[in-house]
Amino acid sequence: MEPRVEKATVESMGESSPEISVVVPVAERPWALDRLYREYAPALEATGEMFEFLFVLKPWAGDLASPLADLIRDGAPIRVLETGFQAGESEMLAAAAEVCKGSVILTLPPYPRILPDAIPELLQRVRSGLDVATARRLLTESSWLNRIQNRAFHTLLRWWVGGDFKDVACGVRAMRKDAIRDIPLYGDSYRFLPLLARREGLFVEEVSTKQHPMDGKTRVYSPGIYLRRFLDLLGLVVLVRFTQKPLRFFGFLGSVFGLSGSVILVVLFFQRLGGQDLADRPLLLLGILLFSLGVQAIAIGLVGEIIVHFGASARRLYRVAEVVPSAERTGERDEG
Amino acid sequence: MRPYPHLSVVVPLLNEEANVGPLVHAVRTALTGVTTWELVLIDDGSTDSTCERVREAAAGDPRIRLVKLARNYGQSTATQAGFDHALGDAVVTLDGDLQNDPKDIPVVLDKLGEGFDLVVGYRVRRKDRFLTRRVPSWIANRIIALITGVPIRDNGCSLKAYRRSLIDRTVLYSDFHRFVPALAVGAAGARIAQVSVRHHPRTRGVSKYGMSRVTKVLADLLTIKMIQSFRTRPLRLAGAVCLVSLVASGVFGALVLSRSVGLVTGSATVFTGASLLLASLGVFVLLLGLVAEVAVRHRGGRPDRPPIVSEWGR
Repeated sequence: MEPRVEKATVESMGESSPEISVVVPVAERPWALDRLYREYAPALEATGEMFEFLFVLKPWAGDLASPLADLIRDGAPIRVLETGFQAGESEMLAAAAEVCKGSVILTLPPYPRILPDAIPELLQRVRSGLDVATARRLLTESSWLNRIQNRAFHTLLRWWVGGDFKDVACGVRAMRKDAIRDIPLYGDSYRFLPLLARREGLFVEEVSTKQHPMDGKTRVYSPGIYLRRFLDLLGLVVLVRFTQKPLRFFGFLGSVFGLSGSVILVVLFFQRLGGQDLADRPLLLLGILLFSLGVQAIAIGLVGEIIVHFGASARRLYRVAEVVPSAERTGERDEG
Repeated sequence: MRPYPHLSVVVPLLNEEANVGPLVHAVRTALTGVTTWELVLIDDGSTDSTCERVREAAAGDPRIRLVKLARNYGQSTATQAGFDHALGDAVVTLDGDLQNDPKDIPVVLDKLGEGFDLVVGYRVRRKDRFLTRRVPSWIANRIIALITGVPIRDNGCSLKAYRRSLIDRTVLYSDFHRFVPALAVGAAGARIAQVSVRHHPRTRGVSKYGMSRVTKVLADLLTIKMIQSFRTRPLRLAGAVCLVSLVASGVFGALVLSRSVGLVTGSATVFTGASLLLASLGVFVLLLGLVAEVAVRHRGGRPDRPPIVSEWGR
């Protein structure tokens, strides 16, 4: 479900329509939003194209948007959207894409991550054929600790999911508006948007950019954040590698548990035949527990397969890049 | 709008640049007697010049068509893309490496004309290595036949002919291209025939298969069996597993009881734990079966009704 856009305040673009929509999902550690606008607007003006800024706020965001009021009064092309319920960045982007006017969307985090002078190149890459151009920060400003964290995260990502992304979660991305409907936008998918977009068959590339000095502070996160990132990654692995074949994942887990449990139970069975009493053998509990876990994992995998089986006929399973010569009877099952 | 051809030949290609030219030539030669046909070549994200070779072959011949996928999706999805773009009333699939002989296309078509929905080729005098290819394949075909109950001699043979009505009610995804006959019978209600076809060794390009597919095939087989038997009533499968767990739980419960009433001496702790664990497994699987029922009820897409495969009377 996408969040309902509650209100769209002042918009001052005059008659002509903007070509670039800058979407800022204001979700975590926001900077002063007026400073953010002043930081990036000149780079967009330099492109010579019309643009608009859409700040997407959670409900009850308090005074976050109030600094923007002066800018809006002065005629800055800013729209402030407030979502109808607590939404993540994915839903915020999806909601903004519904109402934005530009044919190219540029997403920015609510704090500066890259120097503004890289923005024109990102937009240019989309104009010249890419579906998504995502910024890759050269981590010149980060501390060694953050650099190691980043490296470790992306190495795990490469091992488990594949791809060659060096800064997948940067959040500064230019994309064709038409491409957005092909990207699954829900939950935490915003973080891995370039990867998921490439999985959908879109053309995605990283563009090296200079890191903003404000982005360079050493950040030590709480253990909860690391756990969340790990779970994100695990979810991504299953999503990317086993979406069409859940039983391969759950079946493997189930077989490991089930087989170890079975081995224990068989050994105990023969010991019982040899006259040993099982009443004081906790190993029996372990055997049954492992066996039971195995059955449960496989059963969950089978339920997944049922969902995939019935979903497969309704979902578009592939993306066609080109048909030569074009067909009279178009192939794709549907566009949803 | 040009008329739909009588026959579509669908060939998924992955890095087969050396085979495209010979394949197109062989298909043209083999189909000289067929009135209208088209060759739908699906480029499944090749990284070599397969796509350019197809474009060259298609230039000036509207019967040759290219469907270029945005990335590599695998053989099943690529074949499905071919089905979706094929315009023919009959569709024949081939391997892209010329191991199947296009000269056999008229043979499978003739069989299809006898009233079957699916004609499956089986390779005679296979030219593959004995230990790494033919023996595993023989074992796999026996296991697949045993489990699915559809006795297909050669599930690995790509040369198959489909009636359009069958294609319209099946969807290929995951790696299920190997189980088309079982899926066609179990989920789409098809009449199937088998005919012997020629087999040539691969002469150009490299094989995309390895021994790693054995475990994958086993997992897929379990899925196919489940889809065949319980796709619309998963609660029955769950109920059976639940019953077995509860009976086992009851056995341990009886042991606990015998100890607590003093028939047998000794501690009942371990048996109590075992009984409870098995009971919880039974309840869990039953609940999961209910969730599966909900998933079946909320399925999307086409209505799931059995096809009428024959009709009598007036």
